[in-house]
Amino acid sequence: MTAVTAGAAGGSDAQPLRTGRWTRLSEWFALYGMSIFAALVLSAILVEATGGDWRPVVSALFDGSVRRPGRWGETLATAAPLLVVALGTVISSKAGLVNIGQEGQLYVGAAIGTYFGFLIGGPGPINVVLILIIGAAGGGLWAGVAAGLRYWRGVPEVLSTLLLVTVGGQAVAYGLRWEWLLLAPEGRRGNRNQVSEQLAPDNRLPRPDLFGNEFPLTVFIAVVLAVIVAFALSRTVWGFRLRMLGRNPRAAQRSGVSETRYGAMALMLSGAFAGLAGAAMFTGGGFAFGNYQMVPGFSANIGWTGLLVALVAYEKPLAAIPVAVVFAGLRTGSSFVGSTGVEGRITDVISGLLVLALLIPAAVMFLRDRRRARAAATERV
Amino acid sequence: MKMLIGLLLPDAGTISIDGRTESIHDPLTATALGIGMVHQHFSLVDALTVWENATLGDTGRLDPSATRDRIGEIAEQYGLVIDPDKRVGDLTAGLRQRVEIIKCLRRDPSIVIFDEPTSVLTPEESEQLFESLRHVVAAENRAVVLVSHKLDEVLHATDDITIMRQGRVVDQRYSTDADAPTLARAMVGREVSLRSERAALGIHSPDDTDLGGTVPAKTDAVLPATAQPVLRIDRAIAHDADGVVALDEFSLEMYPGEIVGVAGVEGNGQRALGDVLSSLLTLSSGTVAVDGTEVPTGRSGAMAEAGIGVIPEDRHDSGLVLDMTVAENLVLVDQSRAATRGLIDQRRLNAFAEEMIEQFNIACGGPNAPMWSVSGGNQQRVVLARELSQEPKILVAAQPTRGLDVGAIEYMSHRLETAAASEVAVLLISSELEEILELSHRIIVMHSGRIVGEMSRAEANFETLGLLMGGTAA
Amino acid sequence: MTDLLSAVYEIFSSESTYLNGALFAAFLAFAATGEWVAERSGTLNISVEGMLLGGAFAAAMGCHLTGSVAVGLLTAILGGVLIAGVQAEMSHRLAADQFVVGLTLNILVLGLTGFLENEIAPETTLAGRWEIPVLSDIPLLGQALFGQRWPFYILYLLLPLSWWLVYRTRWGLELRSVGENPQSADVSGIDVNKRRRQSIYYAGLTCGLGGAFLIFGHIGRFEDTIVGGRGFIAIAAVIFGGWTLRGTLAGCVIFAGALSFRLSIQGLGYDINSELLQALPFVVTIAGMAIFAHRVRAPAALARPFIRGLR
Repeated sequence: MTAVTAGAAGGSDAQPLRTGRWTRLSEWFALYGMSIFAALVLSAILVEATGGDWRPVVSALFDGSVRRPGRWGETLATAAPLLVVALGTVISSKAGLVNIGQEGQLYVGAAIGTYFGFLIGGPGPINVVLILIIGAAGGGLWAGVAAGLRYWRGVPEVLSTLLLVTVGGQAVAYGLRWEWLLLAPEGRRGNRNQVSEQLAPDNRLPRPDLFGNEFPLTVFIAVVLAVIVAFALSRTVWGFRLRMLGRNPRAAQRSGVSETRYGAMALMLSGAFAGLAGAAMFTGGGFAFGNYQMVPGFSANIGWTGLLVALVAYEKPLAAIPVAVVFAGLRTGSSFVGSTGVEGRITDVISGLLVLALLIPAAVMFLRDRRRARAAATERV
Repeated sequence: MKMLIGLLLPDAGTISIDGRTESIHDPLTATALGIGMVHQHFSLVDALTVWENATLGDTGRLDPSATRDRIGEIAEQYGLVIDPDKRVGDLTAGLRQRVEIIKCLRRDPSIVIFDEPTSVLTPEESEQLFESLRHVVAAENRAVVLVSHKLDEVLHATDDITIMRQGRVVDQRYSTDADAPTLARAMVGREVSLRSERAALGIHSPDDTDLGGTVPAKTDAVLPATAQPVLRIDRAIAHDADGVVALDEFSLEMYPGEIVGVAGVEGNGQRALGDVLSSLLTLSSGTVAVDGTEVPTGRSGAMAEAGIGVIPEDRHDSGLVLDMTVAENLVLVDQSRAATRGLIDQRRLNAFAEEMIEQFNIACGGPNAPMWSVSGGNQQRVVLARELSQEPKILVAAQPTRGLDVGAIEYMSHRLETAAASEVAVLLISSELEEILELSHRIIVMHSGRIVGEMSRAEANFETLGLLMGGTAA
Repeated sequence: MTDLLSAVYEIFSSESTYLNGALFAAFLAFAATGEWVAERSGTLNISVEGMLLGGAFAAAMGCHLTGSVAVGLLTAILGGVLIAGVQAEMSHRLAADQFVVGLTLNILVLGLTGFLENEIAPETTLAGRWEIPVLSDIPLLGQALFGQRWPFYILYLLLPLSWWLVYRTRWGLELRSVGENPQSADVSGIDVNKRRRQSIYYAGLTCGLGGAFLIFGHIGRFEDTIVGGRGFIAIAAVIFGGWTLRGTLAGCVIFAGALSFRLSIQGLGYDINSELLQALPFVVTIAGMAIFAHRVRAPAALARPFIRGLR
């Protein structure tokens, strides 16, 4: 500002992290603990207020997610696409983009993968890989529409990705009306009128069986992807430049990171992950996800929930792994909640409240850090 | 100063006004206590009109006609004529400051604070400003605080002087008892001998005239017509975000080893010039060429790749990524020195950062400290370190010493001169004439996006530059 | 081709097109007006969808418990403002990311209202129809604009009120300055985040009214699909309208046209694929933004959080 006020500039060496690692850590735990507790208590109150009892609900959640035979396999099978969607979201948020259309990208990607899978119909293992790749490409393309709108027409991607969810959903449903697109031929539709053919058994992702719990190979793919994404973002030049773009687009532009190129790439990559998740749900999904058939509503909110996983994991790919499992557990557990007389959608409420609760500690810590830093280095220009 | 208008809270101590102790916890209280501030960087909202801006921060019902009338009154009283219905974004810097002053005066403050008011004014306009300040003090019994680092200004326009250094009052005296050297000594804390410091403090000394002797006198000697210009800007026309012409047929050639000073009142296209050379702005027409090769404007990274280093006017805008670490900021433009085959080598990155931190004396909590935790002066050093480590052919320094303390100014000036000595062409964009006169070999003056004057250092003096800056002699 | 032309003619000459169009447009306008105010202060609330749904549910509950539409209107406002409160306090006091908060709120409210609807199943009634004498007899448009159920007419008060608030009051001036240049506004002594919170609360209020209008003035009962993404179309209308109230309204009318086209053409017995018709309003919205988004100037600080001392 002026020579006068800038006096402190030379010497002060601001270090907000000096407050002590342990105090910080315990603060962190206390804040998170309190927030989560508050969210759970609120949910319990809600159950009680509508005439239910919260204890059997909790018990049912545990039964449905891990305790009953075969259930934790189911939970992992659900966690895998959630994780993949979340990883894609992490990539686009790192680049400073708000992609909230994963639900549509997943659905469209899965449908395009399905279409080409049946069209080409090669030998089993090859076709599975093909469906996965084409599914990813399809999701990427759908996100690419939003990227194009953003970088050439100035339409905020927050809105375009979102509006494209509905458009994508209707487009796939349209495809399920015509035999030359996705609809199964007469006689192979069962009693449904909008359904694709069923994927042949040798065209499916293997489902290994561990201790009576079977889950698709997607689980391993997802974990490997998480490690790759974590590495790519933190250790490669590409990740470095992506982060630069996300944090300061003008500095990035000056330094040779084209907002259009990197931004569009990040958005499409994010869509590709969603598409991959969709294709994986189709080829390895089992009964929970359409039973190897493309149907209306196939995406089953996995895109939305995966987005929440990413939000909770705070742009950290590895942290997304446990978060995905928790959210998958809430989901698989919810099917058991109905038997307690409480509406299963309570789990939607619980996850929503959990996410909101988890936003608070991080925001509080952020503000605190900034304040401390500012106190340490009052000089600002 | 921020404390007085309530933007910053004191940790200890008290503020007394008319003998009463007051606590100022936000800008509104400050206004109520009769403190008004005219900010260095305007507190105006471009999209609003003059009268809307003037009434911003008041309380009570919004009354457009009364506000307009009051603006008229003030305009008459102080000779600050302005159209209350104009959009502030359309005004020149000088007029904008007028709005700022009106905004401040219409609340009848008993204490008026001016924070570095002359950086956006031509010398002539500054003169007028100080005259009306005198009037305010004499005729209306208001107190005026002038915050400035230009000693001439301070000596000339004030009655008493308080000198601050590192947040402490180091000296207090009457203007009539003070002279430039003593003030300078008090400000810096030691005898001021270097010319750059004197220039930074805005002292004209008698030996100014023979500066040519001490500066490495390259200018005239090294500019034969045969030399290849390292940077050539040819008839550049650029528009800013609102479509206003920011550069108008701007042409410039630069040769290795020279420092070209771009003088001009702020807001006359300097920012656009810096932005073009940072690949942030695309020219509507005209070309930029480095070493005879044309560089596409507005393509990300093209300018940096061609060898143009930039110390931007606002380092937070395009110079730094505050949420990344110091080490990462040091390789923002070119990661190759810390990476092999697309992978970042943390050890090499840290080693490089350590080296830079030592070489440029950057005070920070180590290579992995987040950039936002580093103080402003040291942030500027990070930018400088990065740009110089790129070994640029051309270094653009836009207002490089703004907001720095005297020691840092000296350091920056020294670095720029060293860079020029090693055959880098330095483009110094500054609104501080003293700085321009001090460092440049050649000076161009910008007004309304055009070059309105060009001269060697020897031909230049305060008065001619001042006239050109005002656009009068153009 | 002649078939299509006659269909279009039939649609434009049928009173029900305008009646439906006005219903859709009014619903969008309730939401878009509040969102417009909020965006002028520099916030971009994608929680509009949640506020609408919450408002609608609260309206249904109010009516369910008391049997009164007027009470339902009040509870709807409460519901909208409550959700706005979560958004405002979290994003503009705690500085959590506004999109993250908004998105989570949308999902939470959807789950919550769906859950409660199944548990409670609120019973609601439609509000009475008020025919404005003379005006409602205007051909084609009369019924659409002056023959609606009474909550519709709240809009006629809300629109000028919002305009007056933003352009003619000190609050509005401060709001606009906060949306354009929060740093300057701060220096001038305006509490930036407070103004932004207030603008979000205002959006909560209008969205609450919008939800109530949907229940009492249009549909008559609550379902969790009742809003169906139209909150986002309302946001698009603000962008489409270049952040002016007039433009925003124009956006609402155009997007509502696409929504009612769908109903009309089916009502007239034309067989057009229902999926494509469902997608139509969204496609029109996206196309509208693609054409206009880059031609208009957004509030300079739109969607940029303000923390003092931090850019």
